[in-house]
Amino acid sequence: MLLATSEIRRAKLRFSLLTGAVGLLVFLILFQQVLLGSLLQSFTGAIENQSAPVLVYGAEARKNVEGSIVTPDAIPAVQAVEGVATVVPLGEGTFTMEAGGTQVDTAVFGFTPGGPGEPTKVVAGRLPQAPGEAVAPREDTTKGFDIGQTVTSSAGGVPVTIVGLTEQSRFSVAPTLFTPFATYEQLRRAANPDARAVLPTLLAVDPAPGVDPAVLADRITAQVPGVEALDRARAVSEAPGVAAVQQSFSLILLLAFIVVTLIVGFFFLILTVQKASSLTLLRAVGAPAGYLVKALLQQIGVVVGGGLVVGVAFLFGAKAGAQAGLPLQVEPATVIATCATVIVFALLASSVAVVRVLRIDPFSVVTRQSLGGTG
Amino acid sequence: MSIGLRELRRKPLRFGAAGAALVLLTVLLLLLGGLLDGLYLGSTGALRAQQADLITYSADAKKSLIRSRIDEAERRQVEAVPGVEQVDGLGVALLGANVPGQSDVASAAVIGYQGGVRGVPDPPAPGRAYADRRLEAAGVEVGQTLLLGPQREPLEVVGWVDDTSYLLQGGLWVEPGTWRSILASARPDATLADGTFQALAVTTAPGADPAQVAAAIDGATGGATTTVTRDDAIAALPGLREQSSTFTSIIAVTLLVAGLVVALFFALLTLERTGLYGVFKAIGASTGQIFSGVVAQAVVLGALSFLFGAGAAWLLSLPIPAAVPLQLEPNRVVVTGVALVAMAVAGSVFSLRRVVKIDPASAIG
Repeated sequence: MLLATSEIRRAKLRFSLLTGAVGLLVFLILFQQVLLGSLLQSFTGAIENQSAPVLVYGAEARKNVEGSIVTPDAIPAVQAVEGVATVVPLGEGTFTMEAGGTQVDTAVFGFTPGGPGEPTKVVAGRLPQAPGEAVAPREDTTKGFDIGQTVTSSAGGVPVTIVGLTEQSRFSVAPTLFTPFATYEQLRRAANPDARAVLPTLLAVDPAPGVDPAVLADRITAQVPGVEALDRARAVSEAPGVAAVQQSFSLILLLAFIVVTLIVGFFFLILTVQKASSLTLLRAVGAPAGYLVKALLQQIGVVVGGGLVVGVAFLFGAKAGAQAGLPLQVEPATVIATCATVIVFALLASSVAVVRVLRIDPFSVVTRQSLGGTG
Repeated sequence: MSIGLRELRRKPLRFGAAGAALVLLTVLLLLLGGLLDGLYLGSTGALRAQQADLITYSADAKKSLIRSRIDEAERRQVEAVPGVEQVDGLGVALLGANVPGQSDVASAAVIGYQGGVRGVPDPPAPGRAYADRRLEAAGVEVGQTLLLGPQREPLEVVGWVDDTSYLLQGGLWVEPGTWRSILASARPDATLADGTFQALAVTTAPGADPAQVAAAIDGATGGATTTVTRDDAIAALPGLREQSSTFTSIIAVTLLVAGLVVALFFALLTLERTGLYGVFKAIGASTGQIFSGVVAQAVVLGALSFLFGAGAAWLLSLPIPAAVPLQLEPNRVVVTGVALVAMAVAGSVFSLRRVVKIDPASAIG
């Protein structure tokens, strides 16, 4: 430890810079993962945190809520499927709402109070009971969606009063209201006075006791023409865009891990090459190779450990600062897994430097002129 | 410089590690750039193809075509504005299309238009459509009848058009009546009366200032409309700006990584050759001569890695399914190549300090 620490003490700036760089990269990796989780939650939270275990889409929707419409004849047909307890309509649409004095793109879900499709994560206030009431995401209270406030549709001026707040229940990264279906219908008609009818976007289904939602979804798809039923988990994971976002972020993460590996690997390799003469001398005066490798690994441990501390500290700083915008959810498991991966990658990266140390030939001290040898 | 290049020729494997990293980074850069271009071009084709300078939406639509509706009375107000030469109605219906012989539903955008679209002939007869070539990948052929939406509305494809998709859904260009009836059938809540369109494509008169005409249009309708330039309408498409900034940041970070790889590689190389460079300096070589050799190596390394990487990216793009919006544009390839070589040179410059500091006296111990 003496060799490792005394070198770090003498080259504080160099090691601090590397620790800082690793710390920033660790922060980047952690932040991206946390952002991914939060972003996906904001994309599909409304689907994940509603009470219907099975959702029925129009077959042409390609599992896209916004592209779905269910024809009136589908409701009795789904109700007739064995294992279905309750079927109610669920509407979804994006409307321009006047909130807090500005126009805001707002997703609105029209559900049946007391039936499947209700929001399940109401954290303040209450669920809407009457037309004209809605719950809104807690994340959007500063945008004019707080309890007691009234937002109005830009088209037709339909007022909606916020009576409760949800969490993790946004849709398409927009403020999302859950309101009785009648209000949703009113908003639709106000947006387009020519509308002939307002059909459900989806059907929310409660299975009978003991019926598996996934099995029931497959049964509905097979027996009812023109629809595709999905259990809640599939509705979330197979929503368009979710896979694309996940793949994009995976690519960025991979890139960030490669950068950490390259930086740590190259840094310690350069350091080892720079010290080759001194290390050869140490070997020649009897220092075992294991001792030098141990010192190298200790330095890597200090740099990577320090980097992890810096990265995690930055993450919590960012979490505190991000409360007003997209709320960040830090999962301890993600932090631990990321730290472990960085350590493994750093060790892998430093293996080149370790090999270089192991290959040092103590005899070269008598042949290398720079070490006083005879050449 | 010649020594640097000769070394590259004789010992190419010495540069293998950095070269391999740069090839991989080139593949990544081109695939990312290709995705960005594919997403952008696939989302914006229908708007880019408009000959009009301005697009007029209803004010409550927040520049969303789907949410906008402009009736005949408002259209007449727009037509009467000085500086307006031509007004064409525009509307879109996003829905699934059943293609004969295919089990998967194709994503289609039925676009009702009156004319003024580059590369698209005048509107076809009712019940017929010009299809965007994007739909070819879904099995669509000219002469086929597609069945659209939950009510399976028939639509016959009578010809192909290029680069006219909307939000990654293949464009089906139809006359306004056909679009209105398909919209009403697929989305009864989005039904529009005859004469009503979602937006207006406004062509300004020669010499008129589009910004002034846009303001005059919104003034003439009493604030019932929002008129923007075609470019602003494109930028307002949902998610486009976020998509572009995300991908551009990833590309920038990747380029930085490329520079970092080259910088670290040449730093290591220079370090290993301190003695050799000392000898060079001792026999009269200048810092400039030694350094130009390093830069020449970086240029060749960057350029060759890029060529191999571009080839690999092209090969990789072949088996990628048509559903993935990957589009390798010549512009993107050229820009990526130049940027990669520039980053390689920038990376190699970090060795300059070390080369300058080499003492010729070190050659004699």
